Amino acid sequence: MLFLRVAIIILSLSFTLIGRAADAGQALHPIADHRAAPGFALYDMDDKQHSLADYRGKVVIVNFWATWCPPCRQEFPSMEKAYQQLQKDDIVMLAIDVGEDGDTIFEFTADYPVTFPILMDMDAKITRQYGVIGLPTTYIIDPQGRLAYQVIGTREWTDPGLLNAIRTIKSQKANSQ
Amino acid sequence: MQRWLSILIFSVVAVPVMAEVLTGTDAEAQLPFWELRVPGMSLRLVQRLPDQTRAYFMGRGFSKAQAEQIAQSCIFQTIYKNTAHAGSPLIIDYDLGQWQVLHAGKVSKLKLREDWQRHWQLQKINTAAAIAFEWSLLPTRQTYKANDYNWGMTSFALPPGSQFDVLLHWQENGVAKNARMQHLECAPDIHPQPN
Repeated sequence: MLFLRVAIIILSLSFTLIGRAADAGQALHPIADHRAAPGFALYDMDDKQHSLADYRGKVVIVNFWATWCPPCRQEFPSMEKAYQQLQKDDIVMLAIDVGEDGDTIFEFTADYPVTFPILMDMDAKITRQYGVIGLPTTYIIDPQGRLAYQVIGTREWTDPGLLNAIRTIKSQKANSQ
Repeated sequence: MQRWLSILIFSVVAVPVMAEVLTGTDAEAQLPFWELRVPGMSLRLVQRLPDQTRAYFMGRGFSKAQAEQIAQSCIFQTIYKNTAHAGSPLIIDYDLGQWQVLHAGKVSKLKLREDWQRHWQLQKINTAAAIAFEWSLLPTRQTYKANDYNWGMTSFALPPGSQFDVLLHWQENGVAKNARMQHLECAPDIHPQPN
């Protein structure tokens, strides 16, 4: 009986701690008006054009960043790890570099290798259309092409709570069909 | 005039906050920092050496003379965070245009993105340099929900080595607050020579 009580206490404490860890610093902020995400057609480093419209029907994570931005560099490895998991769920991740050319980004990716597409917004036009005023800023776009969440600053993208929140957007779409 | 009037009104109605201000050496930059902490918010100002600033902007398309103008403007690396726990409804709003710099008995303002933009327009800098500059600076106005933050440079428009105080203004869920950070120091313009 005593063993059972101790086990219950330990188990409940563990859940509390896991909950806090998942919560700590990983908030996604819902965008209440669910406005349409501004469309774009930008080139990646292999000169392949990516249009947001191509990804309609999928959850798309759009991260605005630059190579000189220390927190952007800090979150790139966790974004890559998250992408490895989310790709299986057909969730798209696009990193949009603000104002830099392909050579600069290519040099950067030697130190920070990633497999998700890096697009170039050389004149910052798309970045401004999204209302971004500081880097990094990330938007999560729902399968209907609407802005679902915003994040200003970095997050630990491998956090299970955060990944589940992103997957939930996809399942909401599936349920609504 | 209108801007000064709004600062005056804001100062009168704002609630002064007894804030904890930490100082020391930033582990990453190895330079002095000043950090204000209040429940739900932190602001860290880390000195940037003029030489670092020169090198950074010359690497982004600015001429030596242009980079010099920035380097002489008392630049700090600034990290502004909403430190509330995830799920907290706390919203922090700030406007750097309301901050007051107190130096040698005078009150002045920061040199903001918009001020610099006008400055560069007159000097006709190239687009890539203008974009790099704009995004390197802390946004003039921002809204942070729980866990949100930005890094960016702030320019206090004082000569290297100047000592000053800064009166910070922000809003917590719409309630105006202010706090004073004292005895900050712009990095001196030193040029280390090889032995």
